[in-house]
Amino acid sequence: MAKNRDDLTNHDYDGIQEYDNDLPPWWIFIFYLSFVFALIYLLNYHVFRTAPLQSQEYAMEMEMARAELAAIEASASARLPLAFMDKVTDLETGKQIFTKYCVPCHGPDGGGTVGPNLTDHYFLHGNTVEDYFNVISLGVPEKGMIPWNKTLSRREILQVASYIQNRLQGSIPANPKEPQGTPLDQRISMLWGN
Amino acid sequence: MQTTIYYDNKIVRNFAWATVLWGIVGMLVGVLIAVQLFLPEANLNTPYTTYGRIRPLHTNAVIFAFVGNAIFMGVYYSLQRLLKARMWSDALSQINFWGWQLIIVAAALTLPLGYTSSKEYAELEWPIDIAITIIWVVFGLNLIMTILNRREKHMYVAIWFYIATFVTVAVLHIVNSFELPLTLFKSYSYYAGVQDALVQWWYGHNAVAFFLTTPYLGLMYYFLPKVAQRPVYSYRLSIIHFWSLIFIYIWAGPHHLLYSSLPEWAQSLGVVFSIMLIAPSWGGMINGLLTLRGVWDKVREDPVLKMMVVAITGYGMATFEGPMHSLKSVNALSHFTDWIPAHVHVGTLAWNGMFTFAVLYYIIPKIFRTELYSLRLANAHFWLSTIGLVFWVVAMYWSGITQGLMWKQFTSEGTLQYPNFLETVIQIIPMYMVRALGGGIYLVGALIMAYNLIRTAASGHLVSNEPAIVPDRNPNAHETASWHRRLEGKPALFSILVTLAILIGGIVEFLPTFLVKSNIPTLSSVKPYTPLELHGRDVYIKEGCVGCHSQMIRPFRSETERYGEYSKAGEFIYDHPFLWGSKRTGPDLHRVGGKYPDSWHYNHMMVPERMSPGSIMPAYPWLAENLIDTSLTKDMVSAMRTLGVPYAKQTTADASALLDQQAAQITERLKKDGIIAHNHSEMVALIAYLQRLGIDIRQSTTRQINTP
Repeated sequence: MAKNRDDLTNHDYDGIQEYDNDLPPWWIFIFYLSFVFALIYLLNYHVFRTAPLQSQEYAMEMEMARAELAAIEASASARLPLAFMDKVTDLETGKQIFTKYCVPCHGPDGGGTVGPNLTDHYFLHGNTVEDYFNVISLGVPEKGMIPWNKTLSRREILQVASYIQNRLQGSIPANPKEPQGTPLDQRISMLWGN
Repeated sequence: MQTTIYYDNKIVRNFAWATVLWGIVGMLVGVLIAVQLFLPEANLNTPYTTYGRIRPLHTNAVIFAFVGNAIFMGVYYSLQRLLKARMWSDALSQINFWGWQLIIVAAALTLPLGYTSSKEYAELEWPIDIAITIIWVVFGLNLIMTILNRREKHMYVAIWFYIATFVTVAVLHIVNSFELPLTLFKSYSYYAGVQDALVQWWYGHNAVAFFLTTPYLGLMYYFLPKVAQRPVYSYRLSIIHFWSLIFIYIWAGPHHLLYSSLPEWAQSLGVVFSIMLIAPSWGGMINGLLTLRGVWDKVREDPVLKMMVVAITGYGMATFEGPMHSLKSVNALSHFTDWIPAHVHVGTLAWNGMFTFAVLYYIIPKIFRTELYSLRLANAHFWLSTIGLVFWVVAMYWSGITQGLMWKQFTSEGTLQYPNFLETVIQIIPMYMVRALGGGIYLVGALIMAYNLIRTAASGHLVSNEPAIVPDRNPNAHETASWHRRLEGKPALFSILVTLAILIGGIVEFLPTFLVKSNIPTLSSVKPYTPLELHGRDVYIKEGCVGCHSQMIRPFRSETERYGEYSKAGEFIYDHPFLWGSKRTGPDLHRVGGKYPDSWHYNHMMVPERMSPGSIMPAYPWLAENLIDTSLTKDMVSAMRTLGVPYAKQTTADASALLDQQAAQITERLKKDGIIAHNHSEMVALIAYLQRLGIDIRQSTTRQINTP
């Protein structure tokens, strides 16, 4: 503890007196240390440029992400064939994804609200697995369908597509929206069975 | 030679009751908005009590009404005694009091009505801004004239802080309030985009510094040694931490804009000056706490001292945490989350709230010449405040860190783990409940205090004019004194030096941002808003959407995956005011344009839960009924032209036609989805604005934009 110096006691403000103690050494140390930090920080980012600025930092992060995604792409799970799935577990997962993301626009049973009816055999953007995959992953922004490729993985997109194709197509929704798009050839739709 | 003068206690009493009243009102509104975050229906289904509009009512009430009145109370009480002089002018004191209360009432009426500039802690519209300026100058004049008429040779450290408060708040308020009036209660910020953001956070940060901190340090230097009856620990520490605090504080504003579109040199200045603030801030804390050496036994018993200790400790914690948030790595996680309100509330609930309570418990018995009605109730209040505070901040630290981590989490497949923003909200709703509980407990404490103080006052009687025997005039000067001691006897010079100290930081950061073009690279594809979008933007401002939604996508993979390309400085050059926001209770909206169909927005505004099950956004059914004022359209476009937005002359003339044309397109699209909307409804204007957000820099856009 620094010594108390009472030479200010002749100064008294409404009864308040002041000591004139020395500054605590640790306090002075912190103060000086913060100057050193400031100097090094500014030199580091703006003079020697040894640390990345935010746009460089972002570029680095994205570079790493690309490498990571390429590795994932190369791995087995990503080489998933572009084909409808028929395993019950996949269809169940597809149903969960549908309930979580698709219901606000397509209705709980796929009958359509803001978005089109998914149960009838009229198609706006085709009915092949590629069509399903493209519409879900890239969306149809001008009509309000959001791209889902940032949200859902390749597997999840195929699962929800399979659920729609396998379970919703041909089902009878409570409040079906009027058909939109091109009707599918009756013959082909019969082949689909259900 | 000695003489008898009379201290004005009546003005102190007025400010004291105003402090109690507005404190309770402000906290009550705080609890109400806290409840709305888990129970949106608690908005009572009216626009006037919905989160977006009354969140600013809460912040303004607790900052300017509660703390503001407390500052005046404490200054008017301590200044007279420290200078051995009655306030220079009773008339000015009265104008200060009633003017300030009128401003508060004006705020309490206009904010719920949706009259807001949208700039945080500066939401009040231009006529009120002018009134604030006048009343603040009245206060300053009274302060300075009292100092000049003092019977004490030197100014005590508390008064240095009062001077710094007066000067800096005046500068901050005037510079940040540059705005172009459109109507009596609507104006547009003079600054745009990045510049507006820089000015706003220079203001916002230093409002915390010079409204919530420096005046309270002044109060601490008077009331703490008074209550503890101990000498202040160190005079030289007072000098060093005072000057370093006011000089350094002013530079730190940009730390509110890290990883934003603000030029990075300015961001870095914000970082390093925040770190350099630790010692000056802690200088105040240790000078307070070390003053209590030798009386800690008293602290255990006296609720007033206990409150002061928690207040000062809270100040120390908040001023350490602030600089930590200024580190990029911490900020990357904490910004836009509940971690920030947690940090803020350590400062406000502990430092400002508890210190105010302590001062009230000290002053009321003094001026009513009586004893405190109940020490037990004061003790209960101390514990309720402390427990309420702990509930509040622990819940929000928890929720902030949880949500921040969830936003950034990727799956092993390389997609966001929680792509649906709502999932991260639902996760933290229990914490929102705990926060509201904490706030409620704190409020109950304040109510108990009000009862205790009223009973105290009733048991005594006000000494309106308290006699004091003082020396006739200035006592002999100490010619041998140190340079600073001599400076303490020269208030004019002192004030000039304070002004210089607080101007430097702002000037260094502002001038290059305003004058050097390369700081805000323009983008040729960015065009001004259409007339309908301008109206929609005003609706967005009026409803306080910015209170929950940011418009600033930061350059992180987790944000560009979720929201799209990160925000560029050049995208905001026509934004008067900027709407970057400071908190994401809902998702960022900077690239929401074109993401959803118009009908999605319509349905979402009417019943958010229909499009986003579990959403805590309130419903905005009135948007479909309220009409925009199309008689203002032309004036809005001209106002923007005056502010430098390059509309063609023709656009002003054709404003109404352009508006109708775009509105018709939207209602047409809505009709296709079975929705009938009024062309001039606020809803259609807001949809137009939302669909425009962030799309100008897209490579290819399928949506037709009506460029003016």
